[in-house]
Amino acid sequence: MNNLIEIKNVTYEYTEEDSVYAAVKDLSLDIEKGSFTVILGHNGSGKSTLAKLINGLNKPTFGDVIVDGINTKDEETELTVKRKVGMVFQNPDNQLIASVVEEDVAFGPENLGLEPQEIRLRVDEALKAVDMYEFRKSTPHRLSGGQKQRIAIAGIIAMEPECLVLDEPTAMLDPKGRAEIINTLLKLNREKGITVVLITHYMEEAEKADRVVVMNDGVIIDDGVPKEIFKNVEKLKAVGLDVPQTTELLYELHKNGFNINTNVISIEEAADEIISALHLEEH
Amino acid sequence: MAILEVKNLTHTYSENSAFINDAVSDVSFTVEKGEIIGIIGHTGSGKSTLVQHLNGLLKPTVGTVLFEDTDIWEKPKEIRKIRSKVGLVFQYPEYQLFEETVFKDICFGPKNMGLSGDELKERVLEICKIVGVREEYFQKSPFDLSGGEKRRVAIAGVMAMRPEVIVFDEPTAGLDPSGRENVMQIIKDYREATGATVIIISHSMEDMASLVDKILVMNKGRLYMFDTVENVFSKKEELESIGLNVPIVTRVFLELKRKGIDIDTNVFTVQRAIEVLNSLKEGNGNA
Repeated sequence: MNNLIEIKNVTYEYTEEDSVYAAVKDLSLDIEKGSFTVILGHNGSGKSTLAKLINGLNKPTFGDVIVDGINTKDEETELTVKRKVGMVFQNPDNQLIASVVEEDVAFGPENLGLEPQEIRLRVDEALKAVDMYEFRKSTPHRLSGGQKQRIAIAGIIAMEPECLVLDEPTAMLDPKGRAEIINTLLKLNREKGITVVLITHYMEEAEKADRVVVMNDGVIIDDGVPKEIFKNVEKLKAVGLDVPQTTELLYELHKNGFNINTNVISIEEAADEIISALHLEEH
Repeated sequence: MAILEVKNLTHTYSENSAFINDAVSDVSFTVEKGEIIGIIGHTGSGKSTLVQHLNGLLKPTVGTVLFEDTDIWEKPKEIRKIRSKVGLVFQYPEYQLFEETVFKDICFGPKNMGLSGDELKERVLEICKIVGVREEYFQKSPFDLSGGEKRRVAIAGVMAMRPEVIVFDEPTAGLDPSGRENVMQIIKDYREATGATVIIISHSMEDMASLVDKILVMNKGRLYMFDTVENVFSKKEELESIGLNVPIVTRVFLELKRKGIDIDTNVFTVQRAIEVLNSLKEGNGNA
């Protein structure tokens, strides 16, 4: 197994005046290169702290975070870690700076000191990867929320990171914008092999992930493939989370005495389960 | 009885500049007293601009807003009076908390309306009960609370003015599932306790389905539909074409239909889905 990220017994403490608060407690987690991991947890469960630990914005109070063989505590390689792990945040408006889309995407590579031709190449490729190439001459603030967020992602991709860490990138988007972002991330993961770590409050966004990690009060309480995780409806609800509405429907049917498999997330599978449980005739 | 009436409302930002832009154009609709109205629409469709006209924060470029049959801009100097009748809870309202204590923050609105002494205290206590802000929190700084708690305090501050119409602009954005459920419950409880008219902007089709009577759909600054939940959510293709969707549970039923099952697809909540499938099961005689 080839791990891109290794989090080893990490504790992260915030100090406020005279009190100390551990947002992440003795947490260990390996993330495989090329994988798509979703991290779930209620507000304040330590997800965002964890995200910042991965790209070195936060340094562990105890323990180590190793990114592609580099310890994030090592000050000499700090920039290398930030280049390997790109971060995308909730509000696209706070992440866009230039008045033309392609200039915005070029900002990162320019800061890396690359040759102009190389920058051009990377900007074009990044915009194509997020399906925004045709908008390269547009003004970011005229775009939709989903489009702006894809521009923010393109700006990160143009730095050619190994890994993308996204902290609730769809929280402010409409349904179409949310779908655009998830499809973009799946494409980047499957076609370019970029490792994706997605933090979200929308359970259905975890459907196509390879792995779901559930956090509660600074520790990992569950870790597995989506179908296994969402089987534990009561456990998730107990920590302030939920399941996708498809799973909830089948779970409620099961509670109502239907002999039905609840181990399902996609709409199509849910329909198939209902058909077989009810012995319905397809015409 | 109509409590709010919006007539031919157009709002143009930067009217006298090169960036002229109609954020809302020619929108008309009526809200009856006691209704719960949902507003959906893609980002930038004009939802927030529209609702900021309902309490006079924005003035229509063209058109009028009537509250109980009176133009709210009839006496421009008295426009502030409408703000206690139509309360507006902004997006991320917790960013606007500013007082030293939770109690003072919730008092701010009703105090500005002229309430004081026991009356003020009673009002605030009543709202805190609905919203679930417990007494031990009263003397805390609002900045020491968690995200979900801050949001509750901010909502309580608007509710404490006991507005006849309360408008929420994406009240659950950024919250985790239990936080979202909590805010939705608070809205239901306030509605039940006061009979207020509620208008709520949301990107969650599932929340809309479980809460509102009617849905107003905005698209590119224009009113695209204004109808019952059933009539709006039965138009999946049209909604998809403007960046929206129907609830996930509805999509499951549409998939059943597509697979050739003879089934009612007007199902928008899990609760309704269970009822429909239960009766189907009994009808099939294989219970």
